[in-house]
Amino acid sequence: MSDSAIWAVIIGMAVVNFATRFPSIAILSRAELPAWAKRWLSYIPASAMATLVVGGVVRPDGQWLNPLQNPYLWASVVTGVAYWRFRSSLGATIVGVACFLAFTALLG
Amino acid sequence: MPEQTSKQDACPSRARFVRGLKLGLPIFLGYAPIGAAFGIVARGLGFTPLQAAICSGTALAGAGQLIALQLMGAGAGAAAVVFTTAIVNLRYVLFGAAMSQHVAGMSLPRQAFLAFTLTDETFAVNIDDSRRGTADFASMAGVGVIAWTGWVLGSAAGALAAGAIGDPTRFGVQFAMPAMFTALLVAQAEDRTHVLTALVAALCAIGLMLVLPDPWYLIVAPILAATAATVVSR
Repeated sequence: MSDSAIWAVIIGMAVVNFATRFPSIAILSRAELPAWAKRWLSYIPASAMATLVVGGVVRPDGQWLNPLQNPYLWASVVTGVAYWRFRSSLGATIVGVACFLAFTALLG
Repeated sequence: MPEQTSKQDACPSRARFVRGLKLGLPIFLGYAPIGAAFGIVARGLGFTPLQAAICSGTALAGAGQLIALQLMGAGAGAAAVVFTTAIVNLRYVLFGAAMSQHVAGMSLPRQAFLAFTLTDETFAVNIDDSRRGTADFASMAGVGVIAWTGWVLGSAAGALAAGAIGDPTRFGVQFAMPAMFTALLVAQAEDRTHVLTALVAALCAIGLMLVLPDPWYLIVAPILAATAATVVSR
């Protein structure tokens, strides 16, 4: 890719980054939302994280993996249990990556 | 909703900022290696280390940046790459909407700063902290600054040392992001309704991945699950 195309991507991504994140914060924080809308928004974090986990572990890199031989899936289960037990996202992430490497070696 | 101050009044803003840095430290440690992976691949596609660092520092798009590199590697033009990044980033419209309920009362420049540093991980950590009543601008800024630093330093280091590091996947870097998402998901599971909502979202995501082109499931699945939860919990 040419130097000018790389700069075009950098600038375009910077604009897109801010344009997708800022307006909803600025506008909705100044609006009086009805109770149902606030409740709806309160469910977004859990559902968004669940979606991100599923996308990342069931079909990593766009490839569906057999659940029984999927190191991402089993390492994710261990990560979740580790976080639930110890309430440390750093500890859970380290345990998870270590398990992922072990499962990858075991499951081929 | 007024800016939360109840538990912070006795605590100066610098201490709250440092508390945010500590809260975000796991994000720093997760972002640095993934950022390095971005830097390595970017270097291979013709980015200079400075361009890789600027890209990470201004986009802070995580998965969006890695997908952009994949497309560039496949020969896509700049417009197609930016358009795809916009689609991948659409979920941040939702995240911003959810964040808006926790940053009401803050000035526009402060909200702009928090929007700039809004990522999947800073969002989850700040929302969790807000629900405990311990978050304010200083702590959220601390989370954002440390996450940004990890991502940019990692990207720069990866691009500078691309030759020496080699293939980052042998360190399990590809699982760092799913691992963080998993921990953050469990952190959001505060009651049975939220657990059920997460389960519905997971099932929706699997179904939508089968029928929709990527990456639409990322935004449609949370909308469906949150709507179902709102209707059922009425």
